[in-house]
Amino acid sequence: MTPAIEGMAPAVESSEGSNKMSKGYQYPSLKKKLRGLVVDNAELCRIVEKGIMGLCGVETQAVETGEAAVELIASGATFDLIVIDRFLPSMTGPQTARKMREMGVESKIIGLFASYFEGDEEEFVAAGVDDFKEKPLSPNWLVPILRELDN
Amino acid sequence: MEVGQMQRRLAEYTKSLFMEGILDAQFLQLQQLQDESNPDFVVEVVTLFFDDSEKLLNDIARALDQQCVDFKKIDAHVHQLKGSSSSVGAQRVKNACVAFRNFCEEQNAEGSLRCLQQVKQEYNLVKNKLETLFRLEQQIVAAGGSVPMIESSF
Repeated sequence: MTPAIEGMAPAVESSEGSNKMSKGYQYPSLKKKLRGLVVDNAELCRIVEKGIMGLCGVETQAVETGEAAVELIASGATFDLIVIDRFLPSMTGPQTARKMREMGVESKIIGLFASYFEGDEEEFVAAGVDDFKEKPLSPNWLVPILRELDN
Repeated sequence: MEVGQMQRRLAEYTKSLFMEGILDAQFLQLQQLQDESNPDFVVEVVTLFFDDSEKLLNDIARALDQQCVDFKKIDAHVHQLKGSSSSVGAQRVKNACVAFRNFCEEQNAEGSLRCLQQVKQEYNLVKNKLETLFRLEQQIVAAGGSVPMIESSF
């Protein structure tokens, strides 16, 4: 029995149902055209997060700051899923989430963190995020969220 | 060495990196992001990781060298390194960062220095391994072959 790679969803052999074997990985076949926003100041993380959201079928924009994210939304952009890093340069992750909720954003918002600091989760949740996840942004936890949004 | 042999050697080498825990599944995601429109994605992202990491490791070393060590600043650097290493799948670097944080929290300079050495070691290891991986890929391409897509189960 070959060992599975830790952290990877098992590959599905058939292409039945809503799972698509794309190059051997279990990326979802979504019915809806979902739109995503990534807010992360770290370039490397931003590139990877945007890419993985795309692999999972989400048309994604990525911005570096909370201010830029808020500006996008103020200009009328709407998103199905917003992923916000905890640490942003001026407006923090929680502050960004709070502002979005105040603006009437009802999208699913995920607070993302690289390292856990005491009180972060509470702060993010109090600001109105739906969930709080540790980096990296991985299909393992992203796909179930997308399936939910797709229904 | 003919292309088929080179491809097998690359597959074995890549597999070993996962088996040794140097890379985790996140790295496979990077490979998935590479295609005709983005043919050098992995090398580009990994190069960014190398540049980021080297800067962060230098910043941490400098901070630990100060008369009055700013552990908050060091923690912030380690946090960033943890984020980027986890994003590319550099598992052992990420784990070394987790250990490092505990010493920062305790404001333990000696422990932090030891941790820094540990992180540097893991970083140099993954850097070395990935550079070898890219070299093996280049050899295959130079010989007219294509780099095989990694399989999901070994």
